[in-house]
Parts: sequence; structure tokens; C-alpha cells
Amino acid sequence: MRVTRRTFVQLTLASAIPAAGRRVLAQGVATHAAKPLARPAPSGRPFHARFVDVAAAAGLRAPIVYGAVEGHQYILETIGCGCAFIDYDNDGWMDIFLLGGTRLEGDPADATNRLYKNNRDGTFTDVTAGAGLRRAGWASGVCVGDYNNDGFDDIFCTYFGQNRLYRNNGDGTFTDVTKAAGLSNPQSRWGAGCSFLDYNRDGHLDLFVSNYVNFSFEHAPVPGENTNCNWKGVPVVCGPRGLPPGTHSLYRNNGDGTFTDVSREAGISGATKCYGMTVVAADLDEDGWPDIYVACDSTPSLLFMNNHDGTFREEGVLRGVALSEDGGEQAGMGVGIGDYDLDGHLDLFKTHFADDANGLYHNDGTGNFDDVTRAARIGVETRYVGWGAAMMDLDNDGQPDLFMVTGNVYPDVERKLSNYPNKTPRVVFRNLGNRTFEELQEEAGPGVAAAHNSRGCAFGDFDNDGDVDVLIVNLNEPPSLLRNDLAGPGHWLKVKLEGVKSNRSAIGARVIVRSGGSRQVQAVLSQSSFYSCNDPRLHFGLGSIAVANVEIHWPSGLHQTLTGVAANQLITVREGAGVVPNRGWNKA
Amino acid sequence: MGAMTRLKGVCLALAIAACARAVVGAATKEQADAISSALRARDFDTAAELARSALKASPNDAQLWTLQGIALSRKGDGGNALVAFEHALKLSPDYIAALEGAAQLYYQAGKRDAVPLLNRLLQLRPDDPTSHAMLAVLEYREGNCEAAVPHFEHAGKLLDAELDALHAFGTCLVRMKQLEGAARVFQRTVALHPNDARERRLLAAIQLMAEKAHDALETMSPLLEDPAADSETLALASSAYEETGDTPRAVSTLRRAILLDPNNANLYLEFANISFAHQSFQVGIDVVNDGIGLQPQAAALYVARGVLLVQLAEYDKAEADFEKATELDPGQSLSAAAQGLAAVEANDLDRALATIEKKLAIKPNDPLLLYVRADILSQKGAEPGTPEFATALSSAKKAVSLKPSLAAARGVLARLYLQAGQTQPAIEQCRMALAGDPSDQAAVYRLIQALRKSGDKAEIPDLLKRLALLREQTAKKERERYRYKLIAGDRAPSP
Repeated sequence: MRVTRRTFVQLTLASAIPAAGRRVLAQGVATHAAKPLARPAPSGRPFHARFVDVAAAAGLRAPIVYGAVEGHQYILETIGCGCAFIDYDNDGWMDIFLLGGTRLEGDPADATNRLYKNNRDGTFTDVTAGAGLRRAGWASGVCVGDYNNDGFDDIFCTYFGQNRLYRNNGDGTFTDVTKAAGLSNPQSRWGAGCSFLDYNRDGHLDLFVSNYVNFSFEHAPVPGENTNCNWKGVPVVCGPRGLPPGTHSLYRNNGDGTFTDVSREAGISGATKCYGMTVVAADLDEDGWPDIYVACDSTPSLLFMNNHDGTFREEGVLRGVALSEDGGEQAGMGVGIGDYDLDGHLDLFKTHFADDANGLYHNDGTGNFDDVTRAARIGVETRYVGWGAAMMDLDNDGQPDLFMVTGNVYPDVERKLSNYPNKTPRVVFRNLGNRTFEELQEEAGPGVAAAHNSRGCAFGDFDNDGDVDVLIVNLNEPPSLLRNDLAGPGHWLKVKLEGVKSNRSAIGARVIVRSGGSRQVQAVLSQSSFYSCNDPRLHFGLGSIAVANVEIHWPSGLHQTLTGVAANQLITVREGAGVVPNRGWNKA
Repeated sequence: MGAMTRLKGVCLALAIAACARAVVGAATKEQADAISSALRARDFDTAAELARSALKASPNDAQLWTLQGIALSRKGDGGNALVAFEHALKLSPDYIAALEGAAQLYYQAGKRDAVPLLNRLLQLRPDDPTSHAMLAVLEYREGNCEAAVPHFEHAGKLLDAELDALHAFGTCLVRMKQLEGAARVFQRTVALHPNDARERRLLAAIQLMAEKAHDALETMSPLLEDPAADSETLALASSAYEETGDTPRAVSTLRRAILLDPNNANLYLEFANISFAHQSFQVGIDVVNDGIGLQPQAAALYVARGVLLVQLAEYDKAEADFEKATELDPGQSLSAAAQGLAAVEANDLDRALATIEKKLAIKPNDPLLLYVRADILSQKGAEPGTPEFATALSSAKKAVSLKPSLAAARGVLARLYLQAGQTQPAIEQCRMALAGDPSDQAAVYRLIQALRKSGDKAEIPDLLKRLALLREQTAKKERERYRYKLIAGDRAPSP
């Protein structure tokens, strides 16, 4: 719109000062520029979860090398990577897989992904080399799933360069079968998020991979070179704006250890104008078929709805999860998925950039969403760049909370703009039970208040004590392992699924736990948070209720209900058969 | 409008001719001829006397009454002329000459009584350009452009003789947002007066509004080739260069304008605008400082500088500027709105609201302040069912009723309606916002969401395409705009 002389001030006012949050222009990343809501008075309710970082004591001391410590040259150094809780040896105890990066000048000796075996005593042992998983490179995301249905979870890692599929051999080792599986890219790409999913319900896990930016060192501009290489007037790494976006891929599992690229015929490759990040595959419209949500950076996020015929239609904008409430782009990085209002529908929580509120989207059950960020009082916090996140009951009071890790992308900015520090704390939004949240930091323990430059995080119960712990990637530092020292009286239930007709990992299953008049849904996922994979044992806080009914919607279409399940236990449910003995779990 | 004198002359001649062709009533042809001859000889006294005599014998002759009316009107006795014409029309309602005569007199007096007469004439002679022209002008004077434009169109080339009429036509088209049509009209004025700089500037301004910046520059090229081009021309050209993405030339042209007319505050505002657009806030501040040095009483310059200071997070200085603007011009509310929004930018929503409430206490019906109040309350998270939400909603509603063109207020209102689950009013507001600015992406997005919730999905696929296209266009414009940043050397040198 042309601004005439007469209207200059009027209109520059409108664009100078964000109304409901206007786009801040002339920088490489989109931020909605939302103003933080006023913080209400603290509720005063005790929060029984307390997170303590026990990484060093647990043996997780190796730093996660990722780009220069300061003075980044390229966006590649800033995005970071994910991590996973994975029980690779099927002993019932969550092991840890941490991705890592490298440096522009070459691979440092300690630059590698790492697999840590759980010793079941609060400590872990680095078994990376023996497992065949040692590799240096610019790793991005990890997704876990038993793609060959042999009972052992496999690992897929995305990279700038070539992605990797590691087949779990079942004997503590992995084999890189990328090429044999048909998953090598003909040319270098920047793989970002990924998820195994059974999109065609044939019982085999297919694979979706998002790609971030079409990046090359030869053509990438350098800090300050153009307006996409500035942030608040400070020269920074360029992008993603100004760089060509990546395209996304869907690979169909042929059932024989190989995959076929079906991106075009499935309608995926048509989505060409977004910088893809975390991928979440879940049945959002509850029609029995998995849909795919891709958080996108500085471009509209994508929601591919399954047409049940091998194809998808992209409806992110239509369904209210692509843009801000004013139709503006946001920097979408991480995704938490759960049921914050206990209505039985999967809601989404998406992390955004600094000077923007993170987004909470309420699902009405049909896969249509309302942005309830403001109503839920999430908008009180806009200081940090948000990354990995989850919607999980951290204190077992029966109300799923929100947990988010943070960290700046421009380490040099803090020298000029002190209110944008490089290392920032974690954030907990505890659910108050009335569809609103209250932000906690110190109250949730020193592990939350500690400042780091974090990226991916995975949620799971590494010590099998019935709560949710958090594994966190910190760039150029050792990871954090936040042990939840939960002290409250709340009951809980964990559900582990084993597919038979469905894929073995039961990825895509929806589990609804009904207890005391409320119902809470969760989905078995291959990736969520930021580029990370959670403990596949779904954790349900039950509050004061000691018994629940469990309803399982298997990916195959089978519905199974278990009634009168006692709280405070892990149940393993095999498709069609019912509850079967747990693997491991107890300290023995 | 004193413009239509030639229309008056044309009408009178036609009236005489019409009378001459009319079927003779009771009067003899000789009597009528004698009166007509006297009229043509401009012997209006004789014509009037002959008509009076003839009417004694034939009082029910519409032709004689009309001839008398013509004679009296030419004598300057409009009142009695009108009586004569009205008498003729009572006898013969479709008597064209009488219709023309009466319409002409009412038109000259600026009375809408001419309208039914002209409409009747058009029923009898649908293509009469003069009647169309007169009706167009009458409707334009009433502000009824929708009715005026078809008549302007039918007036055709008759308007070419009336510059003011063409201006009225073009103005109506602009008001109706038919910018390309307006440009075509002003192209006629330029064709008729190619050496008239004002006509070229008018056309160029319309072309700019129609986002045809290249056409605007072509229109102005004869003026720009003149080394003595004035500051108004240069300022307009600067805007056009900026629209074409030629920021260096936009800046250099504006510098020339400022040098020519250093006391023109608007030129500094233009520079501030370009600086803002290119995120070169300090350069803009420096130039506005020069303007304030020469025009220390220009409130708008303080507001402009304050807005630029906010971008640099210099809130205290911005506040001082807004206060100064208020002191200089207490009647304007822009500085108050700016103060409120600056407080918002500084993350102090409570102070922002307090500032606006203070000003609203003095000016409770200021649409801009009402809109800002609604927006701040919404940003503070006012929830449906709370008094704050009700205040936000009523403020936004009042803002749009006071100033329907305030698109930002419609945006806030639509958002509030959506929050309250009132999808139909939200849809309505979105549509109205888009009628004012079809490129309003937020309005398109909200309309999509509102239609989805209402279940009325037929339009949605087209709206999604429209939104995608708008986003692409915006991204392209941004890329163009941010090719350039102003640096200190781009300042207009102090005169």
C-alpha cells in the first residue's frame, strides 16, 4: 500500500508498532513481534516436580560439538540437532541417543553422535563405537521406529548432506543400510525433521523427511551481507529467508527393507515454499489414518491430511495451524503434541522465535485448530527462542503441562543486545486445569532455571520411577539429563504398545485413558519436540484417580479397550492379545 | 461549481430549436416565428412582449409559455421564467423545450428540482449528453458518485469542453476506487491541456495510486526534463521512483525538492517515509531534524521523528516528541495514539492503556484513539465475557462507525468477533476491510478461518489462492524494497 505524505504517520504507526503482532521485516527470520501478556499473580499451588540435571553424574559428559562457539558464519552452525530415548536392546530401560555436529574447519576428535546404554543404576555407558554409530557430520533430526518389524527399533538420522538409516541388528550393533534401503539422496540436501509412519496402513513403517534450506557453502551469503543477514541491526548468519527452501520427501516402505520415493504421487512435493523443521505424524482428525504436521521456519507450517488412498492434501492454512492468528508467518521449530484440556483430542504446541509467543493450538476433534495461545496465557513469555518441547504431565496431577527448551541462534548478539543472551533457561508452563497455564522456572527445579543454548530434547523415564525425565541437547556443551524428583501424590500409568497387524512400534496409535470422568489422549510418535524422539511408553498422569480405562486405536484400525487398569504401573499391550509381560522395567 | 457555463449556452440554443420544431398549439405559426426571431435577434424584451400578447389569446399554449420562459430567462428574470416553464409543463409534461428551460434554471440555482426534469428528458432522449452532464454534476455535488458516474460516461465528449467536469468525473472514480478509469479520465484532461503541469501531476498521482508508477513517470517526463521542475513535481516523481524500486533516484529527486522548498514540512515527511521503508531510521531522523530546524512548529514532524525513534528503541526521546506534537497541535490525536503505541512497543501495555484513556477522556469520539484502546486491550489478553473484552469490542465498533475507512480498526474488530465466536459479524468485518484494501492479508486469513467455522466453505479455495498470491507479492515487494538501505550520505543537505 502506497503511503502518501498525508498518511505517513498514521500508517507507519500501524506498521511500526505491532498491533496484534506484525511481521518484523528486513531480517532473516520471521518473528510475529507479539507483545507479552501481563503475568497474572502466581497461583501459589505447589508444583511437585523438581528437575535436577544429573547428566554429569550419569556419565553424559561429552560435549555436543555443533558449529563455532561464537562467530558463526552460516546458518548451518546454528540450528543444532535432536536426541532420542530409545530402548535399543529391549531390556525395558531407556537408552540415550544424542546427535552431534561438527565445525566448518573440520571434524574435531570428539565430534560424533553418541549412543549411551542405560546401566539401570542412574548411569550410562558410551557404546557408540561398538554399536557402529560413530559418525561426524552436520546431524539434524532423529526418528525411531522398527521399520522392518523385527522387534528392534531402528534409527533414521537426517543430515546436511546424506541422511542415514541405521538398522538395529538386535545384538547391540547397527548397520548403515541407507543405500541398500534406497534412501540415499542423489545430491546433498539439508534433512531436517523426520518421522516413521504407516501412511498407507499396510503394517510397514514408511518415512517422511522434511528439508530445511537448499544450502551450499559456495552460494551462501555471509553475515551482514544483506537484510536477511541482520537481526535488529546486528550482522548475523543469513537466512532462512533469502535462501531457497528445501522440499520434502515421503518414502514408502516396500516391505523388503527398501523404500520408494513417492513424494510426487503422494502430493508431498507440491509444498515447495517452506523451510521444514520438526515432523509429527499423528491421526489429528481421528479418522484412523495418520496425518503429517511439519513445523516450518519463517514460512507457513504444513499439515498434510491423509486422503486414505496414498495421497495427501496440504491444509495447514485452512485448519489454523500454519500462521499466526493474524495470518503472519512465524519461526516454527519444535512441536509438542498432547491433550492439554482433556477432551480426547490431540492439541499442538509449537515453539517460536524470540519476541513471539509460542503457539498453543486446540484441536476440535476434526483436525481443525484454534490458536488459543492468548486464552491459555502462554503469551506471557516471549523472551526466548524456543526449540524442543512437549505436552506432558510433569507432576502427575492429571493435567498435561508444557515444557520447552530455549537458546539463541546468534551467539554474538548478546554483546550488543544484552536482553538477548545466548544461553537461556528452560520453561515450564504448568497446567492450572482451567485451560490456562502458569509459567514456572525456579519453582520447577534448578535444571529448569539453568541457562544453556539448547535445541532438541526428548522426554521419557530413564530411571523407570513413574515420572517424566528430560534429555536435552546443549550446543557445544555436554547434554542435560533432567531427572524428575517428583514428590507429589499423583498417580500415573504408562502404556507400551506392540503392534502385530500394525507396525511393530505401533507408531500412529492413539491411546485414550479415561479416569475419573476425564479423558486424555496421546499418540505413539516417531518424532516430536525438536528433531527428537521420546520414550515410546506413553505416560499418563492420573492425579488422585487410581484406576483407569484404556482405549487403544491401533494403526491397523483395530480398537481395543482395557478396563479397570490399576494406576502406578507400566502395561505392555500387544495388538489383539491384550496385556503382556513388561520387558525389563524393574531394577533387577 | 461555476464550470458549466457552456452547458448553459448549449441548453438554451437547444431549447429555442426545440420550440421551433414543436408542434404549434393554438398559436399561429406566425406568432411563434415572430417570437423566435426576436429571441434569435437577442431582442428579449420584444420576444417577451410578443409572447405575453399571444398568451392572452391562447393561454393554454405550451409553446407560447415556453417561448415566454426563454425570453424572460434571457432577460435575467429567472423567477418568472420558471413560472412560465412550469405552466408549459402543466399543459404538456413532455414538452422538451420547457423541460430543458426549467431544468436549466434549477441547475443554475443549484437546486435538485432539476433532477426529475432531467430524468424525464432522458426518458424522452436517452442519449442527450447535456442532460447526462447536468445530472452528473448535480449528483457529484451531492456526493453521490455511484449515480454520477454513469451520467458522466454518457455525457461523452461534451465533458472535454469542461475541465472541471472532467475533474469531477475523475474524482468520483477515485472515490469509487476505480483508479484505472480515473486515470483514463485524467488522460483526457492531459490530452486537452498537454502543457498544463497541474493536469500532468493529477494524472501521475492517480497512476501512482493505481500502482502504475512507470506510467506516472512517463506522464511526468516532460515536467522532469525541465530543469526548473518545481518541488511538488519532484516530490511526486520521488514517490514514483520509489514505487518502481529505484530508491537512489527517489532519494536524489526528493533531495532536489527539499532544496527547492526547504520550508515544506511534507517533503521531510516523505523522506522519513522512505527512510522508514528501508529501515534506515537514523537517516530519517537526521533529515527530519533539519525540517524541524526550519519548521519548529510543525507538529507532524515531531510525530514522524518520534515514530522513527521508537524503531531505535529510544522511547524517552520519542515520548518527548509526541508530547511536543500534542503541545503544538492539541486537536490532533495522532501523537496521543503514537504515545500509546510506543508504550506498547516498550512492552508496557498498562502505561499504553493509561495514556490512551487520558486522551480519550478529552476526545471520546476519536476513532484512532478508540481503535488503539481496543487493540491494547486485546493484546493484554482480554477474554470474552470480561468487562475489558466488552470495552475492547465497543471501542472497535465505535471506531469503525466513526471512520469506516480505518482498516486497522476493522481488523481488531474481526479478531474480537472471532474470539467471541461470532463468526458472521467477523465475516462481515473482514469483507469490509477487504473492500477497502483487497491486499489485506490478515483480513483474508481471518475470513478463511471465519468461513471455515461457519461451515460456509465455498469461497475458501479461492481465498487460499488469494492469500498465497498476496504473500508472494508481499515477499517480492520486500525483496525489492530491502535491496537498498539509506546511509548518512543520502541525507538531504541542510539548506
